[in-house]
Amino acid sequence: MYDLRVEVEKVEGFCDLPMSPGDYFEVKGGKIILPDDGYICLWALQSMLPFLTVKQRKIDETNDWTPHTSRFTCPDPNGRVIFKIIQVDTVTGDILAQDQAKKIKPPARLIANEEKCTGCRACETICSFTHFESFNGEKARIKVIKNEAEGLDIPHVCHQCGDASCLKACPVNALSKDKETGAVLVNEEKCIGCMKCAEACPFDSISFIADREAPLICDLCKGEVECVKRCPVEAIQFGTAAELKAL
Amino acid sequence: MNGYCGQALRINLTTKEIKIDKIADKLFEDYIGGRGLNMKRLYDEVPPEVDPLSEENKLFIGVGPLTGTPFPGAARVNFSAKSPQTGILGDSNTGGFFGPELKFAGFDQVIIEGKADELSYIYITDNRAEIRSAARLKEKDTFFTQEEIMRELADDRVQVASIGPAAENGVKYSGIFCNHVRAAARTGMGLVLASKNIKAIAVRGKQDLKAKSPAIFRETVDSMDQQIRNHQEYEVRMRLGTTKLIKALNDLGCLATKHFKTGRFNAAEKVSGEYLEQNYKKKGKGCFACTIPCSRFFEIEQGKHQGLKSEGPEFEGLAGFSSRVGIESIEDALKGVDLCNRYGLDVITTSECIALAMELFEEGRLTEEQTGGLKLNWGNAEVVLDLIEMIAFRRGFGDLLADGSLAAAARIDKTAKNLAMQVKGLEIFQADPRGIKGYALGLAVASRGGDHLRSEPWFEFVEDSELGIERFGVAESAFRLEYKGKGKVVKFYEERSALADCLDVCKNTVVNMEIISFAEAAVLLNALTDLEFTEEKIRQATERVVNLERAYLVREGIRREDDNLPQRFLNEPLPEECGPSTGSIVELEPMLDEYYQTRGWDLKTGIPSRDKLMSLGLEKIVNDLEKRKINLK
Repeated sequence: MYDLRVEVEKVEGFCDLPMSPGDYFEVKGGKIILPDDGYICLWALQSMLPFLTVKQRKIDETNDWTPHTSRFTCPDPNGRVIFKIIQVDTVTGDILAQDQAKKIKPPARLIANEEKCTGCRACETICSFTHFESFNGEKARIKVIKNEAEGLDIPHVCHQCGDASCLKACPVNALSKDKETGAVLVNEEKCIGCMKCAEACPFDSISFIADREAPLICDLCKGEVECVKRCPVEAIQFGTAAELKAL
Repeated sequence: MNGYCGQALRINLTTKEIKIDKIADKLFEDYIGGRGLNMKRLYDEVPPEVDPLSEENKLFIGVGPLTGTPFPGAARVNFSAKSPQTGILGDSNTGGFFGPELKFAGFDQVIIEGKADELSYIYITDNRAEIRSAARLKEKDTFFTQEEIMRELADDRVQVASIGPAAENGVKYSGIFCNHVRAAARTGMGLVLASKNIKAIAVRGKQDLKAKSPAIFRETVDSMDQQIRNHQEYEVRMRLGTTKLIKALNDLGCLATKHFKTGRFNAAEKVSGEYLEQNYKKKGKGCFACTIPCSRFFEIEQGKHQGLKSEGPEFEGLAGFSSRVGIESIEDALKGVDLCNRYGLDVITTSECIALAMELFEEGRLTEEQTGGLKLNWGNAEVVLDLIEMIAFRRGFGDLLADGSLAAAARIDKTAKNLAMQVKGLEIFQADPRGIKGYALGLAVASRGGDHLRSEPWFEFVEDSELGIERFGVAESAFRLEYKGKGKVVKFYEERSALADCLDVCKNTVVNMEIISFAEAAVLLNALTDLEFTEEKIRQATERVVNLERAYLVREGIRREDDNLPQRFLNEPLPEECGPSTGSIVELEPMLDEYYQTRGWDLKTGIPSRDKLMSLGLEKIVNDLEKRKINLK
């Protein structure tokens, strides 16, 4: 838990309450504490109230956006009073510099573009070849779902989810995430083949094949991703959405 | 086994016996796979006495060693039988995903014999097969049939090859279709299936397919990929595929227009691949594991064909239902191709039959009374589209066209036989042979009749005399309007095409881009399979296949006089408006002489010499022909 200090950083419009730069209040545990003679605008408070409890939490999750948000604007469009929420160490009372918050660096992941995909299944073949030395895409961890009538070719790839459903669904903790690449790793010793992970995957990207207990989950080839290299039309790429958009 | 499965599935529909034959290594070494393997069986198992529509005819489905591997374009599968369309050699191949799936199910070849007692489909899975009822699919179109079987088998990775209503109604040029539009359309292989009461073949394979030396195989494939990406044709083929040919051939003055009356179509721009790309293309589509996906998905968003969306078309279909019949609207042409795909018709033959009738109608040699009121004027799209359906269901005037152009001509006007644009009963494609003389020779001698894909001698577009001398010893060989050297060029490309068909990979890369030399093929096959290939062994195998096919034709009675072209190409020069091709005719006889000479075949008869056959190890064939009193020089 953190305590908070919420300050008016600046007033860009006209606030007739008035709230002025430097006005503040504190949140300590479950209490809101105002300085002597101080007050807080009701509308501004109600708009940021839910967020105060969020900012009190200690979060260590790269994909969570809340640590990187610390400013709120009063909902009165004329006022444009900007509040800054500052996290304070409950024990020492030290202010945590907001800039110290980890910058969001979304992890690179596989991103498939079905508009570009030609449905050739070269990705499946190379995936299966890389992992099993077999050309049959049956054993691939990437699958292209096709609909000839509509001309749809949809590559189903592992999204390397931050908060991965497959990990949470596994009853024996056989799945973990590679700290560096974000790939889901399967501990085949632990896996009991219950298929809960496949059921949980919202992207239909986990499959099981005959004669193999453990699931087929993309491991990002433990290095250069082969399907990305093999795709003739760059329909599968590895990177962040922002990077790929910029290309 | 690596690369190959080493086994063929033999299904007898009459006795319902299904068994697995081992394929000897020697057969792979001598014939490589796919077309080669099929042709060997066709020669051995379907003698001249067999009526193509009888139970004794057999359908062979063959795939090659590369099919199912990541080699770019290794997606193809050959369907072969004695052809009910031509009465001689039937063979047609297609891309898509059926071939690789067959390989994954554990088979290099399927042999279908006999006749089922009710309309059925064959379902092939890992090392086994079953025959299932298709009664409820009677006369259903190819798209519906494929989707319905996938639904019935509850597996969206099942690959289905099916026929449409045209085959069930006995149309001679009905094909076999996979992935909706992937057509093995030539020589009537669909009709052979129909004659066996087989509506479709479904296949699903879950087995491994491996390479002997995975690293070397991968490395070689990667280098082929690189060659493709660096090729000057790469970009345009990715964008337009074969439809690039409409504009290109029109510019050269040899786009088949109004039944080959001329080589220039005034609406060429508006029916071109470029126009299709700009106005209708939604995205690129590819066959299995292809590095150069050349197909396209398109949609018509407004107008009378609003909502028509499909993959394709190829040049043959697009030009078939535009320039060849004079249709100036690309949307009508796309509709024509779509109807053929759904009914299961060959676009080349269908468009030729209609174009032939149009020419006769325009000249007053075919009356409205005979056509049942159809006004067959050039470009009358409504009538063309109606006729496609009438052919597929053999209704009215459509029935008269359903046996091919030669039969139609004979029925309409005895003197019109020369106007049927066919060779040995197979109609030729939408390029005018007068403007591409190597192709002209290729069409005349092709083993399955008037077919451009048996050779595709693209070298004649190179226009580089030094290269002509370097490669074929004749400067003219590199020029499309010259006839000298074409015998050598055609022989060379027939063997390249045989290589492509035996490996069962796409001709776009292996023939047109000349990716993979015989030496590279040996490296590839040695890394993939457990057998030992050399450059010379592979080259010889391709020559063996061509000679075996010729021997098959000879046994069926084909001789030099059958290696012919329609009179128009030999006697009527291309008209004024044909730009660089103006005034051109085909000098067939000297080209044939050169070709037979290069092949080691008898100049007078076109029969392969005894020495040639013996040098290719075709001793059994020599014995067979001699037993049949065919004189080998």
